[in-house]
Amino acid sequence: MTAWHLDPDAIRRYAQGAVPLELAASAEAHLMKCAACRGAISSYVDARRAEAIWHEVVDRVDAPRRSWPERMLVRLGVREPTARLVAATPTLRGPWLLAVAGVLALAAWTAQVDERFLQMFLVVAPLGPLAGVAVAFAGGLDPTRDIGLAAPYSGLRLLLIRTAAVLAVTVPLVAAAGLALPGSNWLAAAWLLPTAGLTCAALALTGRMPPVVAVGVVATAWVSVTTPAGLAGRLDLAFGVGAQVLWLAMAVGGGTWLAVTRNTVTTKLGRSA
Amino acid sequence: MTTVRVKGATKSFGRTTALHSVDLDAGPGVTGLLGPNGAGKTTLLRIIATVLAPDRGEVTLLGRDPSRPDDRKRIRERLGYLPQDAGFHRGFTVFEFIDYVAILKEMTGRRARHDEVRRVIGLTGLASVSAKRIRALSGGMRRRVGLAQSLLGDPDLLVLDEPTVGLDPEQRLRFREMISHAGEGRTVVLSSHQTDDITALCARIAVIHQGRARFTGTPAELTAQAEGRVWTEARRSPAALAAWRTGDGTYRNVGEPPAGADLIAPTLEDAYLLLMGEPELKVAHS
Repeated sequence: MTAWHLDPDAIRRYAQGAVPLELAASAEAHLMKCAACRGAISSYVDARRAEAIWHEVVDRVDAPRRSWPERMLVRLGVREPTARLVAATPTLRGPWLLAVAGVLALAAWTAQVDERFLQMFLVVAPLGPLAGVAVAFAGGLDPTRDIGLAAPYSGLRLLLIRTAAVLAVTVPLVAAAGLALPGSNWLAAAWLLPTAGLTCAALALTGRMPPVVAVGVVATAWVSVTTPAGLAGRLDLAFGVGAQVLWLAMAVGGGTWLAVTRNTVTTKLGRSA
Repeated sequence: MTTVRVKGATKSFGRTTALHSVDLDAGPGVTGLLGPNGAGKTTLLRIIATVLAPDRGEVTLLGRDPSRPDDRKRIRERLGYLPQDAGFHRGFTVFEFIDYVAILKEMTGRRARHDEVRRVIGLTGLASVSAKRIRALSGGMRRRVGLAQSLLGDPDLLVLDEPTVGLDPEQRLRFREMISHAGEGRTVVLSSHQTDDITALCARIAVIHQGRARFTGTPAELTAQAEGRVWTEARRSPAALAAWRTGDGTYRNVGEPPAGADLIAPTLEDAYLLLMGEPELKVAHS
């Protein structure tokens, strides 16, 4: 017990949050021990404000700590719900990324051993990010696919979020492998526009078929064109200046089509939903 | 009031026809789909959950047409779905996973969303494990997590595919309690191949077999179909389609009884066995 009590004015101002920090700390220390002052303050407390503060405290204490990828994304300015959706993208898991890195490293290593295999790297490079987009929606790898399909969240929005996340991780991997290539430096970047073009084409096709099938169609077309060109020593057909303009046009065209039809076309994330 | 209306739904996967022109009506309360594995229950439930579209037939859910994108979105806002093999992001905690589904259900305000996550965690008795990783939970607890996510947003239509599969007897009782509670004031459509679950929970049932609806009505109506076709004897009766020895040493026979047979009251299971098709039962019996 204490003989000293907060005066009514201090109590009122404290309850309204209008006292300096040091006085508030002192008042709090006293309130913890003094039932009389706690009784006196109750009539001044704004119940709604107290409830809001209590609610926030409970939420902060009770909600789990975000995983480090989510924390990093939020620090980079990504909204908290979007960060959670990105964290659940199957393709961003360690084993899958290691597999992509392994394939690219192998392609880069073979090109180092024998420069005739440079074409192999260029053919493989866009397939890494493309496969990442497909796997992000593959039924076997997304354990919550059916739950997601039955939810009202926009399929296109989810597709774009996951695609952006996959590209943000896989493109640097491919770029790093490209820098290890022998010979001319342009090779390290020549796959970028084809990757963008192929990805946008695959996304545009998701209005007609599931992402896995769309990526399969695009990847098959890519390999069918580039492999014979490489074998014939005509890589410029796929990676030359003219071809780069074509890939750019495909990227812009696919992106524009997606933007224009976003409200009218249902993205086929599932078999037929 | 009918909230789920399926008329002539047909669905094929390649050469396999999973559903042949199935009709189903369901309103508030619990409606059960009963049938053996591979009967087409999951396909029908996926159609009702808007995950699949039928090849032919009409579907109306909550008064809307799920084949129209706007209507489908409105339906999904009022729908909860527990798939048969509900998967989880195993690295997520219980809270994180349900929070993730809440985001997919477009609950974007953090505090309101977290409140809703806590509400369903409380409803399903998961409060003590909400901070645990899902991979550390038992199968029964994971099933509860699946049910919890389906209850997010207090949906008007709840679609539960084999909610009690793999649960021990106590967990099944708890689940029945939760589902029964969930069925108050909303439409629940669930599937099971456990007749005792259906008897305990459902006001209406549809028996699905080989992609066709073989019966729709109340459990009592189905049970009544076996009246006069179940009897006990000291031995397995040759006239029985199915017979098994009971705890008191007598045989419970299901089929066409001989004259003077000691008839007993049938159960839903007896009626289900009779409905499932005599040729298959005869093969099993022989």
